[in-house]
Amino acid sequence: MIDFKHVKKYYPNGTVALDGVDLHIDDGEFVFIVGHSGAGKTTMTKLLLREEAVSSGTLVVGNNNLAKIKNREIPFYRRELGVVFQDFRLFPNKTVYENVAFAMQVVGTPRSMIKRRVPAILSTVNLADKLKCFPRELSGGEQQRVALARALANNPKIIVADEPTGNIDPKMSIEIMNLLMKINKLGKTIIVVTHEKNLVDYYKQRVVMLKDGKIVEDRVGGMFE
Amino acid sequence: MRKHYSLRYFTGQAMTGLWRNGVMSVASVAVLMSCLVVLGCFALLLVNINVNLDNVAQLNQIVVYCDYDLDEAAVEEIGNEIEKLDYIDSVKHVSKEEALEIMREQSGDYEELYSGITEENNPLSDSFEIMYKGTDETKVFDLEAQLRSMEGVRKINSVYQVAKTLDSLKSGIMLVFLWFLIILFVVSIFVIINTIKLAVYSRRSEISVMRYVGATNWFITMPFILEGVLIGVFASLIGFAIETYIYNYVHKMALVDLQMITVLGYGKIAIPLFIGFIVIGVITGIIGSMASLRKYLKS
Ligand SMILES: Nc1ncnc2c1ncn2[C@@H]1O[C@H](COP(=O)(O)OP(=O)(O)OP(=O)(O)O)[C@@H](O)[C@H]1O
Ligand SMILES: [Mg+2]
Repeated sequence: MIDFKHVKKYYPNGTVALDGVDLHIDDGEFVFIVGHSGAGKTTMTKLLLREEAVSSGTLVVGNNNLAKIKNREIPFYRRELGVVFQDFRLFPNKTVYENVAFAMQVVGTPRSMIKRRVPAILSTVNLADKLKCFPRELSGGEQQRVALARALANNPKIIVADEPTGNIDPKMSIEIMNLLMKINKLGKTIIVVTHEKNLVDYYKQRVVMLKDGKIVEDRVGGMFE
Repeated sequence: MRKHYSLRYFTGQAMTGLWRNGVMSVASVAVLMSCLVVLGCFALLLVNINVNLDNVAQLNQIVVYCDYDLDEAAVEEIGNEIEKLDYIDSVKHVSKEEALEIMREQSGDYEELYSGITEENNPLSDSFEIMYKGTDETKVFDLEAQLRSMEGVRKINSVYQVAKTLDSLKSGIMLVFLWFLIILFVVSIFVIINTIKLAVYSRRSEISVMRYVGATNWFITMPFILEGVLIGVFASLIGFAIETYIYNYVHKMALVDLQMITVLGYGKIAIPLFIGFIVIGVITGIIGSMASLRKYLKS
């Protein structure tokens, strides 16, 4: 469960990035967040990741009130979320396996568990045969699937993807979106920020449209204007 | 099991970090090591000064050295003259043959240095060891002046003088060294801070991903703190080796040239010195890395 209540976000330079956002997302939902450049979409994901704190209002994710969360609790909160970026952010000198395993190592997962889980996750994203490849040996779509596998590594309840298809060609984009749908069917909440009208139109999911830091549309099965 | 794995992971990361920024790491170790060596010299000097001061304070002794070419009668005459002086408790004649014997005995490991010396070419002179009665400064000075002006006396060694000199030397040395040390430690912490900052910078993308997937701050910072610890350990090990070399060298020199002074054997000082080096080295390393990780440790 994600709950934005009257959320405002000002950056230190005075920019008002979010200007009173009210948004409720239930467990297991699939939500597109759309809007023009500078509308505040990335700011919403930063608030969700608690990279930034809300300036006013409340933001609750599961049992965590992000307006009140203590600094030392943030890492543990983040384990409940998986995040995917437009630019993949993989380690070029680690293999596909190591990139995914890394996310588990740094939260102290036992080795035996990592050995079991990584191949299983990689087969969820259809990359079981690329275990030993380095990112440079993969296409953009494949690299983004590795990033998605890494986001899934610690078994989060929510996946946040900021323009996950922004850097890959349309055919590969469909593949990524299909995977996100599939992961949604497995019970995870999915939030996808995107610019691509055709994708949003095609999947007919809930669409939240931001304009100048405010929600101007929130429709299920909705299309872009 | 998990602890064990983490320690290996952290140490591996720390070593990689040091290796990647080789030049800075070497600089950090070198500066911190210099610091420790200077500190070590300071400490050893002080310890030895104190030992000598203690010895000396209890002695109430003046040694009078006769001219080299005196015959036995002249020496005996000097002895009689001394006994007539005021404030004297006892006088003991040490012939040059006895002096050579004593020197041989004290030389210990360095006996070979004296192997060429025989009774015929004995370079030492006859001397008198005088004990005086108390510590009345004017009386001691008076006695010293009288002894110095006696016919056939080459020089006198007054432990009273030695003690005074050592004492004033001690505070002077302490002040100079203290400033030197403060400057050196500030410089080495500064260099370590920059080394760790560089290590953090070269891993910024890794760190950012670690934060997104929920690594705790201590997990993220531990390799860098360990890097500081390793800098401290390397600096203290090398520093201790250098200190050992320096001390043994000085010890040998002191035995040959400064027989009036007691120099402690290294065996007695080595262990506390080693522990001191490790503790100070590691603490300095940790201070340096903590300072450069403030941002991470706070949040
Ligand atoms: N760190 C920051 N400091 C100051 N202003 C910022 C910062 N990040 C974003 N902004 C401003 O906040 C507003 C919203 O930015 P945000 O990145 O959320 O937009 P967006 O909807 O993701 O845009 P895009 O589609 O271009 O990615 C913009 O005006 C932006 O310039
Ligand atoms: Mg954005």
